[in-house]
Amino acid sequence: MSVDLTVQERILEAGYACVARYGLAKTTVEDVARASGLSRATLYRYFPGGRDQLLRDVIAWETGRFFGRLAEAVAGAPDFPSLLEEALLFAHRAVEEHEVLQKVLQTEPERLLPQLTVESERILVFIRRFLVPYLEREQLRAGVEPEQAADYVARLLLSFIGNQGRWDLSDPAQVAQLVRTELLAGVLS
Amino acid sequence: MTLVGPDRLGTQEQRVIDAALRCAARWGIGKTTLDDVAREAACSRATIYRLFPGGKDALLEATTRRELDRFFTGLAQRFDEASNLEDLLVVGVVYASRALAGHEALQFILAYEPEVVLPKVAFRQADRVLTAVSAFAAPYLTPYLGAEEAPRVAEWVTRLVLTYTLAPADDVDMGDEESVRRLVRTFVLPGLAVHQQSAVS
Repeated sequence: MSVDLTVQERILEAGYACVARYGLAKTTVEDVARASGLSRATLYRYFPGGRDQLLRDVIAWETGRFFGRLAEAVAGAPDFPSLLEEALLFAHRAVEEHEVLQKVLQTEPERLLPQLTVESERILVFIRRFLVPYLEREQLRAGVEPEQAADYVARLLLSFIGNQGRWDLSDPAQVAQLVRTELLAGVLS
Repeated sequence: MTLVGPDRLGTQEQRVIDAALRCAARWGIGKTTLDDVAREAACSRATIYRLFPGGKDALLEATTRRELDRFFTGLAQRFDEASNLEDLLVVGVVYASRALAGHEALQFILAYEPEVVLPKVAFRQADRVLTAVSAFAAPYLTPYLGAEEAPRVAEWVTRLVLTYTLAPADDVDMGDEESVRRLVRTFVLPGLAVHQQSAVS
């Protein structure tokens, strides 16, 4: 099993490198085979759906890595409001500086966005699960449950990570105000 | 593109647009031809070209604009009926959510041709939606919240409509007034009270 995972990871990593270089439309199974140093047959064994499945899984894999890095970056925050502030600052910067994401958003949004929308349900679950234990340690307003608050906060986080709107999410003071009002005013007592 | 404007379309244009929407709800945008629309509207292709010079693209743009006009007109009516801040937020959210969820053409496109609409509304492009809706709703909120706070709150609530409509939650029904009132009371009003109190005291 662990050997399988390694091969699979190797293919996904190569697939990601190909997408970075050629884009989603032009990446072929041959490209990924060459980049990973594996045969086409091996790739089809791990990704029986071929190119479509491979690209789908590459997007899901990098999305997972992105939010994994985010979770890691904020895990040591001293309290819940700081955790959310750090998460917004980190994620906003990470999206802006994500060269592959920005390139694909510029050149082939029609290929990426439907897939990211499918992923977003899974991302919401991931963020929610990450937040619940922190919320269980906080004093919540009367009638607010950790699960319900986690879902609400996860949704707003994702919304702001996608687009900052009228806020400047590179400014810690603004981020702190946003967290205090829209994210947590109804959550923490 | 102006999102809100006076309704200058004649009845013939309206009929063609209604036909185009029915076609889009059935087959999507990509597969709908002007012949389909002409048949559905019981007119000729030539008539469509005369009404919408530029053909399919022009018709698509006019349809989008008409639907946005309708949306904002309906929203204004709901806002006019509300007599306090909570009701204003609740009726606005319920109306907008029902309009999105109940729009058959939009829902077909989101399900089967997401690549047509998502690039216009995701990431940076979401600015258009957030700005248009908050600019429209802010004047209604200003009497309660002040001119600075109103657009912020309008944008916040717009985000809620989008997230709960596009990825429905188990315990929130955005088409249901009681459910939305609970959401607004739980998560939104406390975020305003902080400011209202500090403004008052």
